[in-house]
Amino acid sequence: MAIASINEQLLRAVGVGIALFDGKTGNLQFCNDVFGEWFDDAGPGVSIQTLFPELDLAELKANIDAGGRHSGELSFRRNRRTLVLAQIVSQATVGYESVYVMECQNITRIRELESMLASYSKMVERNTREIQKEKDQVEELLLNILPRGAYEEYKSFGVISPKRYEDASVLVLDFVGFTKMAEQLAPANLVSELNELYTAFDQIGEQLGCERIKTNGDTYFCIAGLEDSDLDHRASIIKTASLYRQFLRKRNENSGVEWVCRIGLGSGAVIGSVVGVKKYVFDVFGPAVSDAVSANSAAGDFEIIATDAFATEGPHASQFAPSNPGMQVLIAD
Amino acid sequence: MANSLFEKYGGFSTIHSIVIEFYNSVLDSDVVGPFFDGTDMESLIDHQTKFISFLLGGPVSYPEAKLKAAHSNLDIQAPHFDTIKALLGETLAAFDVEAADIDAVLEKIESYRSVIAA
Repeated sequence: MAIASINEQLLRAVGVGIALFDGKTGNLQFCNDVFGEWFDDAGPGVSIQTLFPELDLAELKANIDAGGRHSGELSFRRNRRTLVLAQIVSQATVGYESVYVMECQNITRIRELESMLASYSKMVERNTREIQKEKDQVEELLLNILPRGAYEEYKSFGVISPKRYEDASVLVLDFVGFTKMAEQLAPANLVSELNELYTAFDQIGEQLGCERIKTNGDTYFCIAGLEDSDLDHRASIIKTASLYRQFLRKRNENSGVEWVCRIGLGSGAVIGSVVGVKKYVFDVFGPAVSDAVSANSAAGDFEIIATDAFATEGPHASQFAPSNPGMQVLIAD
Repeated sequence: MANSLFEKYGGFSTIHSIVIEFYNSVLDSDVVGPFFDGTDMESLIDHQTKFISFLLGGPVSYPEAKLKAAHSNLDIQAPHFDTIKALLGETLAAFDVEAADIDAVLEKIESYRSVIAA
């Protein structure tokens, strides 16, 4: 068998597409069956650029002259599909003639899988972002009704166990004449007013380490000392009470609705727990809460009243003066 | 919560083969293939990946409005829709998806007939 014939049979047998074309004219001289399957009109005499309109022959020649080979990727449509071929072109000599040998590997499936992977990755990333957004919303919602420590426990273990805090301070605030105001103000106005007041109280408290536990109509409960054991919770709650009073007085100067508060302070042990199974709320119980409620009941307009136990404990006694039996009134903010 | 079909059949590592097979069936079809004559590969693969994932309960949401917008200018008629449905059923069967699950997927796609077809 002649060498040329053997060579041709070898080129036909290989699994990649092979095309030989004239370096000067760009016309095909030979292509194997794999190459021929990609094109209806591939055959001797057909211009390589007819098959690959995007192929830059000048660039191809320059690359081969410079480095001996040209490599690239070309795509074309066949049977509604985009076929992608990875090509390597080198130069060979047949007799006295120079020909270019183009080897083509069909990488369509690789590109399809890459596209699919890119699409799937985007899908998953978008989904992850949406899940994270929902998670953040749930976290924000839970943190509105739970102290952070209780929330962290719930997140880790799925339950919140009742916890005893040996020493914490509680503030109970209510508004004088609220029932009458509720009758006089339009419901939307009343809710809007309370919303504004409680939001301001939350913000003031947050700055001083006090956390709102609940509201009950016109009664606002907050506590200091649950989360931060190093905090001087009595000082925090006294300062918070003073700022609530200042805020209301200032607000009353420019508001059509006048709010008069009474504030009670208590300290001591509390138990924090979630109450309920489905519509549960975090609540606190114990001597500190009872004391703060009693002090609140004893308070007059814009008064801040604390139990003796609260007022005489620690370095804050000088800020209080005796009031009703067992109670002291805040005289220095 | 019950696992989705997407998870049941191995997640993306399996589903990608279904997508490729379905993609080939659709392009080879004389009924629906012509819809994709001018569509580039990336767009079509993207669409098919989301579509199959969506039908199998994968990590993608396909709001009705988006589905409608994607098909509104294609003039998809009942025979086209039926062909897509049949090709999908055949593809899923070729990957050993259980008959009950194929029915569930086809029911789901059927529920979007008025959104996709004219």
